Amino acid sequence: MSAVQAPERELDRLESLWADGLSDAYHVYVDSVGRFADDVQPKLALAAALIEIGVRLQGLGGRAAPATTLLMGDLCLARGSRLLADHAPLAVQVAFARAIESVSSAAAAEQPAPVTRLLLQASLGAR
Amino acid sequence: MRNRIELASTHATEFIDITGRIQAEIDRAGLRDGRVHLQSLHTTLGIAINENEPLLLGDFKSLLERLAPQGAGYDHDDFTRRFEIETDEPVNGHAHCRQLLLSAFATLLVEEGRLVLGRWQSVFAVELDGPRRRQVAVQVEGEFARRRESAEALVELELARQLMVDPEAVATPMRRLVEAGGKRIRPKLVQLTAGIGPRNDALRAAELAAAVELLHNATLIHDDYVDESTHRRGRPTVAAAEGPERAIAVGDYYFAKATRLIAEMGNPGVTSAVAEALEAICAAQIDDVALRGAYPGDRESYLRVVRGKTASLFAAACASGALLSDAAPEVVGALRRFGDLVGTAFQMADDMVDFSPSSGKPVGLDVRQKVLSLPLIYAAEDRMVGPEVRRLLAGALGDAEIGRVTELVTESDALPRVRREAEALVEEAVRELETVELDGLRPTLVDIARSAVDRVS
Repeated sequence: MSAVQAPERELDRLESLWADGLSDAYHVYVDSVGRFADDVQPKLALAAALIEIGVRLQGLGGRAAPATTLLMGDLCLARGSRLLADHAPLAVQVAFARAIESVSSAAAAEQPAPVTRLLLQASLGAR
Repeated sequence: MRNRIELASTHATEFIDITGRIQAEIDRAGLRDGRVHLQSLHTTLGIAINENEPLLLGDFKSLLERLAPQGAGYDHDDFTRRFEIETDEPVNGHAHCRQLLLSAFATLLVEEGRLVLGRWQSVFAVELDGPRRRQVAVQVEGEFARRRESAEALVELELARQLMVDPEAVATPMRRLVEAGGKRIRPKLVQLTAGIGPRNDALRAAELAAAVELLHNATLIHDDYVDESTHRRGRPTVAAAEGPERAIAVGDYYFAKATRLIAEMGNPGVTSAVAEALEAICAAQIDDVALRGAYPGDRESYLRVVRGKTASLFAAACASGALLSDAAPEVVGALRRFGDLVGTAFQMADDMVDFSPSSGKPVGLDVRQKVLSLPLIYAAEDRMVGPEVRRLLAGALGDAEIGRVTELVTESDALPRVRREAEALVEEAVRELETVELDGLRPTLVDIARSAVDRVS
């Protein structure tokens, strides 16, 4: 399963992140996308990885990132969201959105946030 | 909007004044400015506009009788030579011929909600083979005052409804931003274009429009942190009032919620259109920040940023509304291009506001933030002021320098040049609308397009 290759063109502008945590996150999520069609698996695994790395870059729930880093995080979230819009079933799209809502509302309320990775892994299993 | 005017004539030949009935249709539709189209649905019922004076109407009847007398040996009345004759087939060759002398349709103008008619003009359905029950088809098109107002109210209600169910930590800052106003151009575009296709559902359109507005506001909350802006729409920004951590969280929450609301509408085309726009916005924001201070800059870089940062969501708003209503692909395409052009023109006009003391916004904010704007690019190219503009922009920008740059931009041909360019884009956008059928919404879309560049006089 870990042989699934991330779609390189989806890394445009984000190449530097690949070696900086995105690759590791991607390979974690590859193990959660086995139920999807072969061609969709890398896109969904990358979407999940981008969203995890995106909120981490932004400093969500912690210290706010500097402006340029925030924008990079925003792009990660947006690209992850677009990959989901184009390739994920509706239930998975909704589950991902609810996961981000959950993490961000906890951060806004300065309350302990659920673990993003666990939420996103569960989202990939949504039906 | 369409309807039928039902009539019951009482004479063989009769001029039935339907002016009041047409005005009632206009009132019912809430048409403010536009046109009303009438079409007789019968071959022996004409439409005429003339004076409602009884003796004159008698003259018309006499004229019709003279021109096409009843029983004058019409072939149509010889049932032995016709096939499939109904048992109650009337002998009415004269009535058909009289109808040929009249018209079967009419288009009338409407201004300020009233039919545009001369002092003595009335509109008649002309019965030529009565008495019978008749129908005149009516369609009205143009700017619908009440529909627009009620559509806008629906979006506000939907925004309030969505914020009501959110956790206070995110809802309160977003409510402050939403309630501060804003032009609501994107939701307007969604609602208008959602009325174009056959699946026209005002409630779904309002849901999509509100989600797009929430998404737009989510991007503004992050932008304000990036730009270190203290105020937006006259109120403190989320970052300034509650700190950057809260601003990031609120932006993320509404980014996620808006995308979920859109996904839950169950139209993959709409979901993808908005998702692509959001990605374009984020990529362009990175470029925007990277290009700050890269003076004198160039028009191509500027346009690339503007098309991503602003025009992409205008285009997505137009396309997604049309997609929601199941509009034809060529209509969706034309509206997407319309939105892209109007959004670009809108941003150019916004750039000009930075140099307008009467706009109500602080002058020179873009200069202070070293944003690459088109007036600055053109001023830097200007033969007269260009050298000084370039010299000032290359150095440290204090209040004195910002004031001087603003003066130089205003003195140069930069602002008129940007305005001409924005107006040309709007006209190009309007031409896009001419290629497709828009069910009477063209005038309203044209008004919105033109208002995008009319913000700076």
